[in-house]
Amino acid sequence: MSRRALYLFAAPALALYGGFFLLPAVQGLRYATTDWDGYSPAFHDVGAANLTAVVSNDDLFRNALTNNLKFLLVVVLGQTALALLLAVLLAARGRGSTWLRALFFLPTVLSSVSVAFIWKFVYDPNFGLANAVLDAAGLDRFESSYLGDESTAILWVAVAQIWFHAGQMMIVYIAGINQIPEELYDAARTDGAGRWQQFRHVTWPMVAPATALVVAYTTLQSFKAFDLILGLAGNPPRSGLDVLATRIYSTFANSQLGYAAAESIVFMAAIAVVTFLQNRAARMAHG
Amino acid sequence: MTMSRRNLLGLAAGTGAASLLAACAGPGGESTKPGETGGEISFAHWRAEDKDVFEQIIKDSKLAVRQDISPSNDYQSTALQKLRGGTVGDAFTAFRGAQFLDIAKAGVWTDLTGKPLTQRYEPALITAGAQDGKQLGVPYQLVFNTPLANRDLVTETPKDWDGFLALLDTLKGKGVTPIAWPGGDAANAGQLLNVMVVNNAPTDDALGRIETGEAKVTDDWFLTVLKQYQQLTPYFQKGATGTGSDAALALFAQGKAGLLATGSFQVSGVRKLGAKFPIDLLAPITTTADKARYEGVFNATFILGVNAKSAKQDAALAWLDRLSDPVVAGVYANGTAQHVTVKGVEYTNADLKALAPWLSRKTALAPRFQFSNLDVRGAVENAAVQVVGGKSPEQAAEAAQRVVDQKR
Repeated sequence: MSRRALYLFAAPALALYGGFFLLPAVQGLRYATTDWDGYSPAFHDVGAANLTAVVSNDDLFRNALTNNLKFLLVVVLGQTALALLLAVLLAARGRGSTWLRALFFLPTVLSSVSVAFIWKFVYDPNFGLANAVLDAAGLDRFESSYLGDESTAILWVAVAQIWFHAGQMMIVYIAGINQIPEELYDAARTDGAGRWQQFRHVTWPMVAPATALVVAYTTLQSFKAFDLILGLAGNPPRSGLDVLATRIYSTFANSQLGYAAAESIVFMAAIAVVTFLQNRAARMAHG
Repeated sequence: MTMSRRNLLGLAAGTGAASLLAACAGPGGESTKPGETGGEISFAHWRAEDKDVFEQIIKDSKLAVRQDISPSNDYQSTALQKLRGGTVGDAFTAFRGAQFLDIAKAGVWTDLTGKPLTQRYEPALITAGAQDGKQLGVPYQLVFNTPLANRDLVTETPKDWDGFLALLDTLKGKGVTPIAWPGGDAANAGQLLNVMVVNNAPTDDALGRIETGEAKVTDDWFLTVLKQYQQLTPYFQKGATGTGSDAALALFAQGKAGLLATGSFQVSGVRKLGAKFPIDLLAPITTTADKARYEGVFNATFILGVNAKSAKQDAALAWLDRLSDPVVAGVYANGTAQHVTVKGVEYTNADLKALAPWLSRKTALAPRFQFSNLDVRGAVENAAVQVVGGKSPEQAAEAAQRVVDQKR
């Protein structure tokens, strides 16, 4: 087969990538320097004014960034820890573990809208499951308005996100754990290592590649948590639940496409910075 | 019969191409040239709860109309982009305020000035659909953005703020939630602001003046509004800032709340949940009786229009003409428990009859729709929610004013 024919195979994918990703990305850079509303035939160049405003003079964007970072931190730590714990407990093959793996994986196959609907029911202050359970247990002093509490609302969404995706990450960890040679555990046991020490000195370092994958994927998921938040918080979300993706969408809906494009650029920069820091941290953690 | 791999790939490619073409053709594969009145038209709106009534009207009219319905908040966000394409919303609706203005700016409304159908509406009620002397759309619904009252529980109508607080105490004494308020639902949480503002505001356009910078959230009159929200806080249901619209509706429909702080557009929803009690409207009068200018708030919304980008404008106009017929408007009104702006409609629905006196009462046009910037509106409305959540009125106002200054 000629080399030219090989390129032809890639052409459809490249055309789609170019048309639906590269071109809009370049257009986005251009729009970010304009005051275009998204529908008028004319617009004005505003230079770097949009980007400057996003970075230095936009409380709503700063609030969304803060919420997003809180959400990211809780989800990455919580989801990674829970997924690893479940994987360690369920890595051994057996009927019970297979059934439990399927059970924990189940939320992953649900749509975000369904998950939002379920957790809306859980968090409703008057008819919801969470307050009903606390009430029944005589712990009504811990009852909350959950999504209505500005300072903690995003953390409650993070709980829903962890429930939604921990099962998926558990499967990644189980695959990683199953790759670890049994001899390493035999050697550790021979040296007198207990279960915790086996985990600390064998499992944890050996699942480093899986951890890197889980953390990277979870980070992206956290930045892109758009439909779950809109499902739980409504559109537009209130300030306690606004994250970068929903903020950009609100700006777009407010007929400020140029400004929304500038917000998107800062959004991409934030993802790049967080990913870079994570890679550095992962390298340091695993020597 | 055997099939080679080449044949199989050919068959797959052919099937794929056919599927693609079929998909591109759209539902029904119908094509209509500009100016043609035939073919199905799309009617874009946000009221899923009215779908059955519209279907009945479509069936009776023998017009080919397809309803394209989006949830209200999504409609607010995305309708303009869809309408500009011209394939959705040959006939469409719009919210009063920001959306109406954006659609006008984008040139999507068709000028209805002088069309016979406009003569069928109450002139004073369709001004929200006019701009620069042109009647771009016709507001169809006449709703009261005034709290609903369960008249089995709420037996008095206070004439001032102290009287209103006394009523709330009485309701609390009866063991019910005085006010069910969907503070967790941005779209409906803001409805209460309408009635909290109209008598406190120094002018009828005070909220609009906040957006233009002529007034501030930190002005005394708005601080009074926020302080009154603070006073209302113990009378809302528990977790009010996290309560969604459906939950607040359920509290009221089940007789567990005396007032529902949304509006008449939820009457049919309350009835659908089985409520049998008599429903009235009752706005908090936020001043002393002698200073009160309004008894409540109304809005003329659900603005009907014909899409200037549509290839089926004549058919879309015929659909609007049909909806403007007093008999058809009556079917819509009585079927959805909403008043309409069409003249000469006979209201037979018991709730509409009961609320009919409000058509002639002293009500103000809903002020929250004076905002044309949704971020500014969100900031101002969120200040009230934050006060209920425990923030001081002064702090909430200052934070909101910062956003207004940045965004206007």
